[in-house]
Amino acid sequence: MTLSEAKEILDATVFVGHEKLEMEVKTAFSADLMSDVLAFAKENSLLLTGLTNPQVVRTADMLDIAAIILVRGKTPPDETVQLARELNIPLLSTKYILFETSGRLHARGIVGCIEKVGVDEGA
Amino acid sequence: MNLEFIVGELKLDVRCGEDKLGRKVRGGYVGDLLSDVIGNSSEGDIWVTRQAHQNIVAVASLKDHTGIILVNGSEPDSDTLEKAIKEEIPIMVSELPGFEVVGKIYKLMHT
Amino acid sequence: MREGLLAALKRLALMRGLSSERLKGEKQLRLRTLTFELPYKQDNQVTQDKKITKTQELVYKLKVKDVMTTDIVTVSPGNTMNELKEILRIRRIAGTPVVENKRLVGVIGIDDLIRCLSEGEMDATVGEKMTRKVEVLYGDEPLAHAVNKFNQYGFGRFPVIERKRGRLIGILTKSDMVTGLLKRLEIAYHTEEFRHNNNNENHVFNNIVMDKTSFHFQYRVNGQDFKVAGESIYKLKQILSQLGFPPPIIRRATIAAYEAEMNIIIYSYGGCISVSADYDHITLEARDTGPGIANIEQAMRQGFSTAPTWVQELGFGAGMGLPNIRKCADTMDIESEVGKGTHIKIVIKNTNGNGK
Repeated sequence: MTLSEAKEILDATVFVGHEKLEMEVKTAFSADLMSDVLAFAKENSLLLTGLTNPQVVRTADMLDIAAIILVRGKTPPDETVQLARELNIPLLSTKYILFETSGRLHARGIVGCIEKVGVDEGA
Repeated sequence: MNLEFIVGELKLDVRCGEDKLGRKVRGGYVGDLLSDVIGNSSEGDIWVTRQAHQNIVAVASLKDHTGIILVNGSEPDSDTLEKAIKEEIPIMVSELPGFEVVGKIYKLMHT
Repeated sequence: MREGLLAALKRLALMRGLSSERLKGEKQLRLRTLTFELPYKQDNQVTQDKKITKTQELVYKLKVKDVMTTDIVTVSPGNTMNELKEILRIRRIAGTPVVENKRLVGVIGIDDLIRCLSEGEMDATVGEKMTRKVEVLYGDEPLAHAVNKFNQYGFGRFPVIERKRGRLIGILTKSDMVTGLLKRLEIAYHTEEFRHNNNNENHVFNNIVMDKTSFHFQYRVNGQDFKVAGESIYKLKQILSQLGFPPPIIRRATIAAYEAEMNIIIYSYGGCISVSADYDHITLEARDTGPGIANIEQAMRQGFSTAPTWVQELGFGAGMGLPNIRKCADTMDIESEVGKGTHIKIVIKNTNGNGK
């Protein structure tokens, strides 16, 4: 689906990346621990998280994450928005909890960005 | 829907609380920050997390969760298991990432 | 909204030169607290501060009792922990003051409850398990004092006491403060005030030497300084990319560098990261001075962590750092001396052809 469709499904607000909403996304990773993201997330995935500090954007950038979706109606602090703008990473926010967010995306065909932990770990 | 159904459908490994799988699951919550889970999850939720230390049992007990599913191949410490048995909190594990586990449970709940 | 409020509070703290994350070593904390208190104690000095913002004015004008929560739940020392659990659950709160004859005798919270839960002491009384030595705020203190105290102690809430009779009159949480401030500021608290922390570009390129075939890149990392974490690694990523390393190799190098940097920030007093790369491999070294690692084997185990909760709430310190670094590396050496510091060296081979 496109990022724009994900936005509709999640009734999300776009903080950064209006111009990139037509990008295609197929996979996602959800986590509140950035170390988990660093360990398991894959490039071009959506990152779903409840954290809003700028390190979320740093982490996403290092992994070439397609877009960040904040859950639970979090409004990102200014420094996070600024950094996302600087690094050109779309930043969205949805009111849904992470459970509902994941469920909705999964139901519309988005899959986990890794199948199993321990499989395909070669960065 | 009860725990046993989810365990079967998602092929989860049960680490403790086999005799509690008849419990009814009312909703789901996924999160790795204990303060978030304490603040926002609900009674009867199945809690999906990658945290494996013993405090998860206390949180699940406090919030009356139906059970805990550890994801990303995370395994409960021995302390965690011991507490979970005492507090009667079933713990299941999955090698799948949280997104997949949640997606599948969500589907079961909505079909 | 909660996150927004906290962020605003952090800004508030930052504006006063305070650490937002209360993460400074004790000495630094005290120092920073002092610089915070000075303008208040000598009111005439306030005007000498470079910029006085509306928020800064308000934190002095507003009193604790103006913004505190007055509808509060209390328990008595005779209640059991089981009863407390019910109260916390029903009222959806994380802690409560313990009151006897209208006087505050202690506080008790979810941490105590979790401890009792995990030790099977739910029949114990609140009186036995509560914290007796309680830091309080007085209703007539300015909010500035409260901000200071939140940063100093790192608590989530303080009981508020009436100064004359010592009676409990309310509770103050961080969000009470920020909500109170925001109500009065009404709008746009995020505009001009957050410009102070732009002085950190210079640490990025301390030392780069690059020629056609190899380069060396080194930068300093300050302990406890979360704000700039990852900035230098962004540069590293760009350089490696310019040198033509394939994306998977770049990801491994940057992830390892990032985790190493986070470790230095979280656990040490400070250190240095250096990266050198040539055609067929990237070498990364991280050195710090600090407490060192007592048991390396344990620290390498996934999920083992000694990080405090606030670090975990930032999304780090979940016992994945060293295991993640190892996962990215082809070889990894780690040396640590307790009380001195830690040195990590990893090598990543450029298997996907050469770097140029």
